Amino acid sequence: MADMLDGFLALSAALTGFTGHRLRGTGQAEAYLATATGIVGEGVMRDLLLAADEARASAGGDAAKHEAELRRLIMSDDRLGPVARNIIRMWYVGSWYQLPKPWREAHGQSPRDHDHVVSPISYTEGLLWPAIGANPAGAKPAGYGMWAMPPRIAPG
Amino acid sequence: MTTSGKDPALTSFEAVAGQEFDVVIVGSGVSGAVIAKQLGARGCRVLVLEAGSGNEITVADYEESVQRFYGSQRKDNNSAYANPRNAPMPRDYETRKLPPGASNTDGYLVQMGPLEIDSTYTRVLGGTTRHWEGKALRMLPDDFRMRSLFGQGRDWPLAYNDLDAHYRAAERELGVAGDVEDQQYGGLDFGPGYVLPMRKMPLSYLDRMIARDLDGMEVTLAGETFPLKVRSTPQARNGVPNPAYDEGRGYKPVGAVSTHQEDKGERCQGNTNCVPICPVQAKYDARRTLYAALETDNVQLLAWTVASRLEVDGATGQVSQLEFKTYDDPDAPGHRVGHVRAKVFVLAANAVENARLMLASDLPGSSNRVGRNLMDHMYLLTWALMPKPAGALRGPICTAGIEDIRTGAYRRHQAAVRYSIHNDGWGWATGSPYSDLEHLVEHENRFGAALRQGLIDRVSRQFLLDCMIEVLPDESNRVSVDPRWVDQMGNPRPVISFGATPYTLETAAFSRRLSRRIFQRLGAEDHTHYDPLAPGYVSHGGEGYVLRGGNHWAGTHIMGTSARDSVVDSTQRSWDHPNLYLAGAGSMASIGTANTTLTLAALCFRTAEAILAGLGTHAPAAATTGARA
Ligand SMILES: Cc1cc2nc3c(=O)[nH]c(=O)nc-3n(C[C@H](O)[C@H](O)[C@H](O)COP(=O)(O)OP(=O)(O)OC[C@H]3O[C@@H](n4cnc5c(N)ncnc54)[C@H](O)[C@@H]3O)c2cc1C
Ligand code: SF4
Repeated sequence: MADMLDGFLALSAALTGFTGHRLRGTGQAEAYLATATGIVGEGVMRDLLLAADEARASAGGDAAKHEAELRRLIMSDDRLGPVARNIIRMWYVGSWYQLPKPWREAHGQSPRDHDHVVSPISYTEGLLWPAIGANPAGAKPAGYGMWAMPPRIAPG
Repeated sequence: MTTSGKDPALTSFEAVAGQEFDVVIVGSGVSGAVIAKQLGARGCRVLVLEAGSGNEITVADYEESVQRFYGSQRKDNNSAYANPRNAPMPRDYETRKLPPGASNTDGYLVQMGPLEIDSTYTRVLGGTTRHWEGKALRMLPDDFRMRSLFGQGRDWPLAYNDLDAHYRAAERELGVAGDVEDQQYGGLDFGPGYVLPMRKMPLSYLDRMIARDLDGMEVTLAGETFPLKVRSTPQARNGVPNPAYDEGRGYKPVGAVSTHQEDKGERCQGNTNCVPICPVQAKYDARRTLYAALETDNVQLLAWTVASRLEVDGATGQVSQLEFKTYDDPDAPGHRVGHVRAKVFVLAANAVENARLMLASDLPGSSNRVGRNLMDHMYLLTWALMPKPAGALRGPICTAGIEDIRTGAYRRHQAAVRYSIHNDGWGWATGSPYSDLEHLVEHENRFGAALRQGLIDRVSRQFLLDCMIEVLPDESNRVSVDPRWVDQMGNPRPVISFGATPYTLETAAFSRRLSRRIFQRLGAEDHTHYDPLAPGYVSHGGEGYVLRGGNHWAGTHIMGTSARDSVVDSTQRSWDHPNLYLAGAGSMASIGTANTTLTLAALCFRTAEAILAGLGTHAPAAATTGARA
């Protein structure tokens, strides 16, 4: 699975809008790849990463084209779309959510496919909070009185 | 400062069963802890019984609760705490919309309706302050005279001024941060020169944004005009000590409770997680007071122990002994039954549990008022998007509110209300930010940069205004017990019957109208809506509202001037049982628009004095328990 990590980070960057570097910094990439692969199976994961490669290649550096290709090849695909959306959820709030019923019926059930927090750290590493210049409730506080300042919403 | 010293004085079933103490206290929450500390300091031999675990007094165990919170999928307001089957507690997600005439027995509370309330409490060491939010406002002088001034509810058997010194003691004990200058409204009087222990929490960016456009807006109610102003909210959370406190002696904030030196519990760092747990112990919880009580060496704590029955001498009415059940495993069936005797008994298990225990002991009171007059604040939530990113999800949950309408002649016709500005976004109302992420990903089909921008637009701009509405004492709102419903130990579960009266609903409707005006004035986009299928949905004047529980259970052993229509006197002593005190918000004769804890803590300082006087131990003069700057 180690060979899949780079592809997973590249796909994750496109899905989340955070750079691969920033994603790697959370220390959660391996855990998310393992969680998703463990539930949807290696076949689905490989197809997803291949589709992501294809989207990137055919866009040739054009951001709008890249987005359109991701919609065409992944987001609107019955088999890959729900998995991609779950990868977004993991990065943003640290939780895996059970896949939709039609997906489970068509592509297989997994005993681990239920709502769960990937790990206590995955919650505190959630990207939703940095995306709006805040901190996850109960972790990584900005410090006394910092709430009086405007939010620092930084790209990255 | 860090509380340090030896291991806490946890005692055992064997050491306690069959023994006699000066005072036995049921419950280690703020009520029980305040009384234990005051009595222990005066040399009384005190035993505290606690239904929850005794472990959590150390930082290590506290850390375990923090980790349990991080790891829990459903971050409800009790999610940091285990729910032992032998001492269960209510969880808000157990609340369901009740069809007319139906009841809900799924959770620990049996809810009979007609209004299902999603309030909770926590049965752990230190009680519900473990996950309280920490707002620490005083009640207003008018609140104590509801019948005389407004012809509604009941008068207290004491006046605001009678409680002033005890309020000061409570503000010191809880470590209240606030500026008295911001509290000049509605007849509030702190006495000349008084300051609170710590300076106010800085107002949030959102508070300031709102204040800029809102201050000065006028509201007319029953012919009286109120100018609105965003004011800082006093709260029990560590901030910057006020050097003028205590006649210039200042104040030393109390830090994390620990048996070892620990570098925690300093200033609030803005974790936005005061409910259910503050990771750095900047927020007061009753373990601080309890620990100080144990350090007197006169107070012992028997944990994992549920008080189950009071036994009363039929001739004198005196409580002769208390039956309790001690368990080894929090969840597995099995416990030992013991008894303990004392000169004085104090029930400090909170308004629901005190009433439950009295009724389980077949003691409804000669007035038959035990369990009746159940009160709780009703919250109406309203929410909107500010025109620009406002920095939601940062800082303590609330740092400011709108207090100016807390009293007025309008209270003849409708309930009083105060408003809080939420720094934690729409979470309480909508499950935000999770629900927003869901919406953006699943419905707006966003990802990448568009998703990030969507979150900025939709979450950072969130503004929730809560409307905390007074509820009057009403005898049909009550806690009762019923042999059909018992917990695993065989203790009867609390059965809750509760409904909202037009007096309260009128203010819900008024508050919704006012919130519309406020949003209009701010140019905020109103997103408020009330789901007819949600628990707490009520109709009034042709419009629907959702009322949420305030977690401020009160009134169930109501205070008054005689045994005919009340349960306790102005010292919280039972009219029927001279050696029994029922302590906590259950004694309150009205709840006004203050969250109950500061007031119930003040009452417990008063009760400690009464107990000491009764035991022949000279009570500390009230003046020394408060502080004047
Ligand atoms: C989410 C939430 C937010 C809140 N926010 C605020 C706020 O901002 N401001 C405010 O003023 N108030 C707030 N409150 C209310 C506040 O927590 C309570 O008023 C306060 O904790 C009551 O203190 P108490 O000691 O009387 O009862 P509790 O704190 O409930 O303590 C009772 C203790 O008794 C124990 N016990 C219960 N039954 C038994 C038994 N049979 N035998 C032995 N022990 C028993 C319990 O385990 C517990 O330790 C909030 C409450 C909640 C739930
Ligand atoms: S805002 Fe955070 S640090 Fe401050 S009291 Fe609340 S949880 Fe603790």
